[in-house]
Amino acid sequence: MSQNPSQPMLDRSDERVRHDDSLAAMAKGFIDRVRSGDLGMLPVAVGLVVISIVFSALNPVFLAPNNLVNLLFDCATVGVISLGIVCVLVLGEIDLSVGSMSGLSSAMVGVLWVNMGLPVAVGILAALVAGAAVGLLYAALYNRLGMPSFVATLAGLLALLGLQLYILGPTGSINLPYASVLVRFGQILIMPDWLSYVLALLPGLAMVGRGLRTRSQRLAANLSAQPMRALILKAVVLTAVLEAAMFYLNLGRGLPWMFALFVALAVLLNYALTRTQWGRSMFAVGGNKEAARRSGINVRRIYTSAFVLCSTLAALGGVLSAARLASSSQQAGTGDVNLNAIAAAVIGGTSLFGGRGSAYSALLGIIVIQAISNGLTLLNLSSSLRYMITGGVLAIAVIVDSLARRSRVSHGRA
Amino acid sequence: MTATLENAPAKGETVLRLRGVSKNFGAVSALTDIELEVKAGEVVALVGDNGAGKSTLVKVLAGVHQPSAGTIEFCGRQVTLDSPAKALDLGIATVFQDLALCENLDVVANLFLGHELSPWALDEVAMEVRAWTLLRELAARIPSVREPIASLSGGQRQTVAIARSLLLDPRLIMLDEPTAALGVAQTAEVLNLIERVRDRGLGVIIISHNMEDVRAVADRIVVLRLGKNNGVFTPDSSNQELVSAITGATDNSVSRRAERKSGHAQESHGGAA
Repeated sequence: MSQNPSQPMLDRSDERVRHDDSLAAMAKGFIDRVRSGDLGMLPVAVGLVVISIVFSALNPVFLAPNNLVNLLFDCATVGVISLGIVCVLVLGEIDLSVGSMSGLSSAMVGVLWVNMGLPVAVGILAALVAGAAVGLLYAALYNRLGMPSFVATLAGLLALLGLQLYILGPTGSINLPYASVLVRFGQILIMPDWLSYVLALLPGLAMVGRGLRTRSQRLAANLSAQPMRALILKAVVLTAVLEAAMFYLNLGRGLPWMFALFVALAVLLNYALTRTQWGRSMFAVGGNKEAARRSGINVRRIYTSAFVLCSTLAALGGVLSAARLASSSQQAGTGDVNLNAIAAAVIGGTSLFGGRGSAYSALLGIIVIQAISNGLTLLNLSSSLRYMITGGVLAIAVIVDSLARRSRVSHGRA
Repeated sequence: MTATLENAPAKGETVLRLRGVSKNFGAVSALTDIELEVKAGEVVALVGDNGAGKSTLVKVLAGVHQPSAGTIEFCGRQVTLDSPAKALDLGIATVFQDLALCENLDVVANLFLGHELSPWALDEVAMEVRAWTLLRELAARIPSVREPIASLSGGQRQTVAIARSLLLDPRLIMLDEPTAALGVAQTAEVLNLIERVRDRGLGVIIISHNMEDVRAVADRIVVLRLGKNNGVFTPDSSNQELVSAITGATDNSVSRRAERKSGHAQESHGGAA
């Protein structure tokens, strides 16, 4: 190791800081972080364990491989919408119209493709462009007129729903052809077993690869580096969990391509949020808008990018849900779609107060939300009870977020 | 990485010269015919009562406000400062009174905010090295640059704000009330910091209401009163002189209070003897 005892590492010269290097010390550091309100993925892990125990006790089908495959199909549609919600939540804003936007986009695909006979790609593209246009409109209302996003998107919720009903016309429902690639993608297309096993290796390999590169760069620059043991341990645990999950899913139908698309989008968004200047600016604007403005960030452009991204992803989610249901109907995007998308992001650890969040919170949060929804469906509960329970879960998620935030403030973690 | 800048003007060379700068807000003239000169390696204190025009002057120099009349010369060239970005590009850095840091981001992210290295794949290692080097040059005591700003004390935040203004290699740095919210030790640290910045060959403008701090670091004290120049003083001029220049009268509340106090002291002294 290139550590020179006479010249301490740049970031190890202050004796006031405790450095958690050994595995035991890292565990202690993790507990400290959780106690100070930096919950990370803990609520998701706890939630999944509780949900699995409760629902599999009530109905053993819940944990059957094929039920989980169905669960992943459902996750992909709302999950993509939730990715967009993460973007606006990081800024401390909200988009309440994502459900209506997804409904409108599913209606557009149905009308343009099935009713008017245009190629399906045109329908999808038109839906995405409509999503981007709606996002631009919200951004203009926010930036130019100072309209709170809460109100603008609440108005959008109604207006877009109206537009959806208008273009669907009196029939109200359009069936999409079952044999088409789009519907097969949403209902049937499954990754070959071998490919799912190979893909499940990638996160661990990427973790080790990037970890080793960062480590050598940091040591070369005389900075401390994460110990090798911890890196390898994390990668091994992650790979083991993913491979076990793939094995279990492959006992049933296997890993849906649609879910793989969702994961790919989440990975892409995570890179953009954590490793690019745009992402850094997003968190800066969410943390302190005025400070971001004074450091030369074009704040308006950041808001525009977030609103456009959110609405476009909502439109994509709408296309996926049309594929999943093989229909464009008046019910698409109504009901609990909005709240599920928002709750997923919040449960996964994205703060409603801005400045904190991650793309993976949508990925993990939506699994929790859909697991609850799926479990309740298996129990044959009426929708009245399901709404009440889902509402309660959302309330709990927000309460956890508020309490964690209060704790972070008192522990100096913002 | 060395502290001195290749393009820095030599010590004693004029960095900034204002001639007849005025600023009107409608019928109100906030600044009238302001003359100001700052040399490299010099700390100029800008003092004055509330409403004297200090902050307006700083905003003019930071590119936030445009002057109504007058010329600004920067490093020998006449310039127009029509946006904050323009001022930053020229090399005029400002540390605002409220610091303008993002509490949710760590020290490195705050230092490089808006100027990150390699925007499409952030170079965290290079940024962290640069952050440590800069903080070390300023002898700043920041325990860890990977902790969010929220966990830092007021003095440490001030240090980060000053370090951030130095990141773009400015030639002139303006500090608005840098010690207003700080304790005794932190104030001393910030004053040390200002001296180190001056020793790097930068021109420094500091605004403060605290005469003690002003005297401690300033090479010249420029007094503004009602938007006009009201004298230039050296740090060893008496408090009486300064206060009367600031308030515009030899008979003012400060001197009356001082007189009353000393009168009381003499009386009680006489009584005891």
